[in-house]
Amino acid sequence: MKIVIAGAGEVGTHLAKLLINENQDIIVIDNDESKLAKLEPYNMLTHVGNPVSFKTMRNAGAENCDLFIAVTPYETDNVLACEIAKSLGAEKAVARIDNYDFLRKENRSFFNERGIDDLIYPEYLAAEEIAVALKRAWVRNWFELCNGELVIIGVKIRDNAKLVGMPLRELFKMSNYAHISAIKRNHETIIPRGDDFIRVNDIVYIATTNGDMQNIRTLCGKADVDIKKIMIMGGSRIAVQLAMRVGDDYKITIIESDYDRCEELADRLPDCNIIHGDGRNFEILEEEGIEEMDAFIALTDSSETNILGCLAAKEYGVKKTIAEVENIQFISEAEALNIGTVINKKLLASSRIFQFLLDSDSSNAKCLALADAEVAEMIAKKGSKITQAKIKDLNLSRDLTIAGMLRNGKGSLVQGDTQIQEGDHVVVFCLSGAIHKVEKLFN
Amino acid sequence: MFIKKSNINTLMVVRVIGWLLMIEALFMVIPMGVSLYYGEYSCSKAFFFSIVITFALGGFTARTIHPERMDMHRKEGFLLTTLIWVVFSIFGMLPFLFSGIVDNVTDAFYETMAGFTTTGSSVFCDVEILPKSILLWRSLMQWIGGMGIILFTLAVIPMLNKSGGVQLFNAEVTGITHDKLRPRVSQTAIGLWGVYIGLTIFMCVLLYLGPMDLFDSVCHTLSCVSTGGFSTKNASIGYWDSRYVDGIVILFMFLGGVNFSMLYNVIHGKIKSLAENEVFKWYVLLCVVGAFICFADLYFRGENRNILDCAMDSMFHVVATITTTGYTVENYSWGQFSIMILIILMLSCACAGSTSGGLKIDRILVMLKNVKNEFSKAIHPNLVTSIRINGKPVPYAHAQRVVAFLVIFALVLMISTTVITMFNIDVFDSFFMSLSALCNVGYGSVLGEGDIFASLPSTVKWLLTFDMLIGRLELFTVLILFTKGFWIK
Repeated sequence: MKIVIAGAGEVGTHLAKLLINENQDIIVIDNDESKLAKLEPYNMLTHVGNPVSFKTMRNAGAENCDLFIAVTPYETDNVLACEIAKSLGAEKAVARIDNYDFLRKENRSFFNERGIDDLIYPEYLAAEEIAVALKRAWVRNWFELCNGELVIIGVKIRDNAKLVGMPLRELFKMSNYAHISAIKRNHETIIPRGDDFIRVNDIVYIATTNGDMQNIRTLCGKADVDIKKIMIMGGSRIAVQLAMRVGDDYKITIIESDYDRCEELADRLPDCNIIHGDGRNFEILEEEGIEEMDAFIALTDSSETNILGCLAAKEYGVKKTIAEVENIQFISEAEALNIGTVINKKLLASSRIFQFLLDSDSSNAKCLALADAEVAEMIAKKGSKITQAKIKDLNLSRDLTIAGMLRNGKGSLVQGDTQIQEGDHVVVFCLSGAIHKVEKLFN
Repeated sequence: MFIKKSNINTLMVVRVIGWLLMIEALFMVIPMGVSLYYGEYSCSKAFFFSIVITFALGGFTARTIHPERMDMHRKEGFLLTTLIWVVFSIFGMLPFLFSGIVDNVTDAFYETMAGFTTTGSSVFCDVEILPKSILLWRSLMQWIGGMGIILFTLAVIPMLNKSGGVQLFNAEVTGITHDKLRPRVSQTAIGLWGVYIGLTIFMCVLLYLGPMDLFDSVCHTLSCVSTGGFSTKNASIGYWDSRYVDGIVILFMFLGGVNFSMLYNVIHGKIKSLAENEVFKWYVLLCVVGAFICFADLYFRGENRNILDCAMDSMFHVVATITTTGYTVENYSWGQFSIMILIILMLSCACAGSTSGGLKIDRILVMLKNVKNEFSKAIHPNLVTSIRINGKPVPYAHAQRVVAFLVIFALVLMISTTVITMFNIDVFDSFFMSLSALCNVGYGSVLGEGDIFASLPSTVKWLLTFDMLIGRLELFTVLILFTKGFWIK
């Protein structure tokens, strides 16, 4: 697949690096040569030029690309670049936006008419993810797939969990409502086999059906936390999105160090307490009652500040901490430091892009990106490899596993002797770089 | 010992070398076939043993060594690229040794390196007595080396199609910057080799239509497109004494000196890129002006009174020099001025990204423009300037790299010359030989291959071999291995 990415910012760079691991042909366009120079050692083509220019687009080969992704910092540029790419003959175009108004259903036809196939709003995705994390405070990740029939959760395992030290084969016999899809241990994600077992401090990704959630919770030895009061450090765009989404359900306090920004926030979010001050200052935290808080969300621009802020909040006894960590290398460090949930805009954005890779008709595929693994929901097509034998006879590659499926509207977990049929929605868990294998399996 | 200390993925490097050796063995099959056809059975035997040894060793290495990590970075790129050129030469000299045509390692290695680096200077005084299969192998080596061993591998081994491959590409391809034609390095390699193979076939057909027989056409095509310069005749191209042959050879030597990325673009319909390419314009200009000066020199000193011959021969020698091919048509006694002009052309050489050697016009242009800017700055101290090549601004860091390159080039040239004079060889000859090896031209003494190389002391031959290697890989790739920083973790 030939993919042109306009904008070599954080998201663009991350996407490009991710997509070359998936063996795609990547061309990156940016105005700034120094940004492109960092991509020089990678197996991709870079092109200096303004993305909003026909000449640059032609030279970069947007004319016959399969996917055009505009992720420059300016949404108007992105939308325009997509229109240009589309008019030149790009197959699909995706623009990153920064405005909830664009996402509204009633406005979608405007973008569809202009040939923009999808809009990515990373801040909105992040706010959505935080909202889910607040609702289910005992899990780290919560992915609903197949219309909510199947759920994949990520849980950090403590020594009070029942499933510690038990081979997975026996675990599954005892509790057949849980499919351990992946284990993250010491910065590494592994797809477990029957004789692997779970250790303390692993982050375990479990696929299950929605009805069995309480059983899973007790299996993992977690208590349910009811969250009422939230403190947010950093009044970023994500914070605004989040406050607008869940402002009615929780009491929100936002700490922001920039005074002008505070005023702006106060205008936009009348129901929230806006505090002017540095979130790293413990006195301010105490003054605003950090000990009473149920959740602490750190959303400043600096990953380090966010991680440290969450650690401090833990000391004060806050039950749920959520940190925005934009440096991907820090994510596993942050997870090791017992930060409840880690949010990363780049991963959220790339998960949307992966849907296009999985299926040219993206409505059939759904993809969720973790730091070094992806979860995909695929529909088994007629005659595809996956439908030809039982799972255990398929000789699947070791870097992916089939977690569950949805047949006739009913979700179930997948076992070795399950036979996938045409039209089933199948949930696949795979390590980074293997997503093209998934695609081959299903098409 | 120091390899253990460093963080270089040595096993991976060794493994890739294994793969490459198998490819080299496959190339040797061609001359073996030729030797069977012409009934040169002693050569067939030599090639057969060479193939078996090379293939077995390569296969063994590739199969038994399993590195923990498959990744390769900048350091591995430099190390592998340098090693592979040396290793290719070591195994490439086996046919010379086994057939008994060369009786010592020094000469055999020199000849092979002169082949792969497309230098084209030979230790053989009389090439016409050599078996045909050996002649073909010499030309074939130049052809492989011309576009680049690594580049060929990148096109055919999919395992290298990742960022490690990009590092190899950067370490081998000539020029200040390395244009990628297509998103993936394998596609770029296939594109460049496609152009190269296209040129080769085209030239071979054209030569065959003339007075040359098929075998000579093939050999000369291989060594001409790669701007190598090995010939099957002692008198080089002059043997045929045909204007048609001269013309074809001039044309394809010239094309071999053009940036292959540009050729690729032109072939793919972007004719405009030709007009926009400043380096190409300078290349044409240098050829024309050089030829005119040599022509005037020849004509007015009365060496050759036939105007057409005179013009053609001047053109031939100028293009052969600037593209670092090193063919000859006639041994003239050139005037001192012409000689100097030819030395200048040797230094400047052709476009970056071509099969030629030397400094490359691109670098000289960057340097001259930089100098011009410095003059302007002397008058207007606050002036902010930029260097533009082909209409695109060149970052200041590149200009700095070019300065470093020139300094190292001058240093290596000086050291090499000095060492050769230790053997009581004429100062000018020492200088000329060093320059010719470093720029991969292959002239021995001034504009005649002659038999000077055969009689050199073996130390000098090794030195020149080394010059050829670092010249082909554009200094940094090889010399960086001799820095302490490379090996320290």
